[in-house]
Amino acid sequence: MKQKLDKLLGGFLVILLASMVLAVLWQIFSRYILNSPNSYTEEVSRFLFIWIGILGAAYASGQQDHLAIDILHHKLDELKRRRLKIGINVLIISFSLVVLVIGGGNLVYVNYELGQFSAALNLPLSFVYLVVPLSGILVIGYKVNEIINSKKYLV
Amino acid sequence: MMSEVLILVLSFVILLAIGVPVAWSIGISSVLTILASIDSLAAFTTIAQRMATGLDSFSLLAIPLFILAGQIMNQGGIAKRLIDFAKALMGALPGGLIYVNVLAAMLFGAISGSAVAATSAIGGILGPPMEKEGYSKEFGAAVNITSSTTGLIIPPSNVLIVYSLASGGVSIASLFLAGYLPGILMGLALMLVAAIWIKKKKYPAGKRSSLRHIFVTFLDALPSLLLLVVVIGGIVSGIFTATEASGIAVLYTLVLSFINKELKISSLHRVFLGSVGTTAIVMLLIATSMSMSWVMSYENIPQAVSTALLGLSDNVFVILLIINLLLLFVGIFMDMTPAVLIFTPIFLPVVVALGVDPVHFGIIMIMNLCVGLCTPPVGSVLFIGVSVAKTSIQKVIKPLLPLYLAMAIVLLLVTFVPQISLWLPGLFE
Repeated sequence: MKQKLDKLLGGFLVILLASMVLAVLWQIFSRYILNSPNSYTEEVSRFLFIWIGILGAAYASGQQDHLAIDILHHKLDELKRRRLKIGINVLIISFSLVVLVIGGGNLVYVNYELGQFSAALNLPLSFVYLVVPLSGILVIGYKVNEIINSKKYLV
Repeated sequence: MMSEVLILVLSFVILLAIGVPVAWSIGISSVLTILASIDSLAAFTTIAQRMATGLDSFSLLAIPLFILAGQIMNQGGIAKRLIDFAKALMGALPGGLIYVNVLAAMLFGAISGSAVAATSAIGGILGPPMEKEGYSKEFGAAVNITSSTTGLIIPPSNVLIVYSLASGGVSIASLFLAGYLPGILMGLALMLVAAIWIKKKKYPAGKRSSLRHIFVTFLDALPSLLLLVVVIGGIVSGIFTATEASGIAVLYTLVLSFINKELKISSLHRVFLGSVGTTAIVMLLIATSMSMSWVMSYENIPQAVSTALLGLSDNVFVILLIINLLLLFVGIFMDMTPAVLIFTPIFLPVVVALGVDPVHFGIIMIMNLCVGLCTPPVGSVLFIGVSVAKTSIQKVIKPLLPLYLAMAIVLLLVTFVPQISLWLPGLFE
């Protein structure tokens, strides 16, 4: 299950990154070669970047890649260390729940209600911000999984 | 306001100390602080919004693209070519491999802009020959670690792009130009410390290279060095923005690696995934740091710090010295990107009021935080350098000490002689 999600999420992020590269290159091409600069490539690449950044946060949590100061961890015995790491995961889950899922969800809702659209592409902004609660749910999923299988992940 | 500052600082320190990842710590303490001032749903929504809009900047896009270009170059054997060229130039000196390390780090950093990538690539390649020739593993690692930070000062530099954002739009082209001399000065200072060590330990001299060999290795390294001309030349002359230049860098390195047959289509996915991983770590740091920076300005913390600092003295040298000491302390516990995003809005207005050029201050700040990358407990470059050299932090600390001193002296020079940073950008104005 986790491996499948890792692969899916990683693959999706790779596609987003590749699209972002193409968007930036297309911008250069249209500006210097075609001599017809457009406003949408910059917006597309910016939105792709937000998605990569916020969704990437979930990916990096799944890989346990975020940097931390682990001096204390080395001073504890195995059981205490595992308990501490469970506590840390609970903190991350709480943040993801209240800020990313609830706050981000409200952000999507407000932008939807107000009918906000992007300047160049006329894309609903609620769609752009949808990545925030989505990423929150994924982080929670990863961290809950680590707590349940704490002997495997939180050693 | 005092109580909000207390919540912010205390919660942040505690979260870091118990080992909550830095990016999440920044986010959690921002929320706790803002909860003291506004009601909960508004607080959660605002933080979520600040995180998303904090990433909404076209110039930030250059960061993942430069990271990607760096990853492609690593696959394409670029580090090895640069080291061969550096070796042909300096390998004949006694203890030559040490100088080769510093020079290669400067060249590599100038091309990839990542200190971590430089540390692992160069340390991995130079470690074995250094060991074979009887060099101290610990000293080699210490030089590798400190010299790789020159790549963050010599452009292209992702962290200077972050500074440009945090400072409200200081020209990336000027920042890039300003980085050259301080970065080179840092490299020379590290070589000087190495020279003293080498003399004391009586390291052997290497084989002298023929002119022909130097020329051959130069030709080999030339396509990589040309990228530098295209990217930096394009940015400085105003033809490209930094983001467009980073896109060109990706395209150039891809084409080059395919021509050299060092990258297969099948390994592209892995290269992209690697960049996604590295990018994701930086991006969450940027997102939560932007929210903390907003919380601080909402609570008027920058004004308070500014008043407090200017109350201590209105002498620009004293203030710069105090800020340097504060930043050195911050750098020990905090990674570079969040430190730049959080502390630029606090310190920049103070020094600008005293007549310091924002470009100059950017270089001071980055150079200062470079020291933190090489110190425990969070120095990411230190960890990579130690693990590549298969040694331990305890063992490299002693050889690191004189190198820290050299970095500190260069930092002081760059702080108090603005011309070192501002002369080169001045020529292009």
